[in-house]
Amino acid sequence: MAGTDLMTVRENADIKIIDVMTDLSSYAALDLRKILEDLLLEKVDKVVVNFSEVNHINSTAVGTLVGIAKRLRQNGGDLKLCHLGPPLTRTFNLIGASSVVEIYETEKSALAAF
Amino acid sequence: MEKDYIEFKLSSNVCYIESVRVFIGKLSETLGFPKKRTADIQLALDEICSNAVIHGSKSVESEIKIHITVDRRFLELIISDTGGQNTKDWFTPEKLAEIQSRRTPEGEGGHGLYLIECLSDSHKLQANKYGGTDVIVLFNRPSNACQDVP
Repeated sequence: MAGTDLMTVRENADIKIIDVMTDLSSYAALDLRKILEDLLLEKVDKVVVNFSEVNHINSTAVGTLVGIAKRLRQNGGDLKLCHLGPPLTRTFNLIGASSVVEIYETEKSALAAF
Repeated sequence: MEKDYIEFKLSSNVCYIESVRVFIGKLSETLGFPKKRTADIQLALDEICSNAVIHGSKSVESEIKIHITVDRRFLELIISDTGGQNTKDWFTPEKLAEIQSRRTPEGEGGHGLYLIECLSDSHKLQANKYGGTDVIVLFNRPSNACQDVP
């Protein structure tokens, strides 16, 4: 299954869950993009990204998530995010991306939203 | 001394940005910035450096210069690039306004300059002598900052 030491992929029924365990500057954002694009190639259309271990995200990574969410929706699926701490919530809110991508407090609620 | 300085240069590669971000976080804590403001400074630097590497450099052999000024009243960062393949001498106020007007929350890119503006106490972009861009951001230090540093 796709993933790296700092980003692992697991599944719950037909939903893939990515656990991100590193802060997301532009370098790590490349890894996240690669994992998400690999899932798209595998025809996965429901994805949750769990950010419980992440304290920083930049606009490159947010843009990646927004772009992937759009592509998943075109396929009838979606991308949902969970466990965003205050710094990540601030970045999403400043950019306005919190109105574009669905954000949930817990992984359970993100999974239930599909 | 009225002001202290730290300066370093990096090869233009995104793999070094995280290390710079961690460094500025530690420095900001030392200077007495609260946790939330430290996160703002780190994000602003990340955005500026990412722009410098992705848009303001011709190759990984290009150089990014970071000049940090520590003053009793503020922390100033100047990040200089040498200009990209298609962005050399790109900087004009009109071009900057055009980039900012195209930004939307639904867009995948173009958020960096907007965030820099939101996060800093003041910011300025200017063309430099290398054909690239200097981005200058300033963060006012808290009034109860550590007295052991300038």
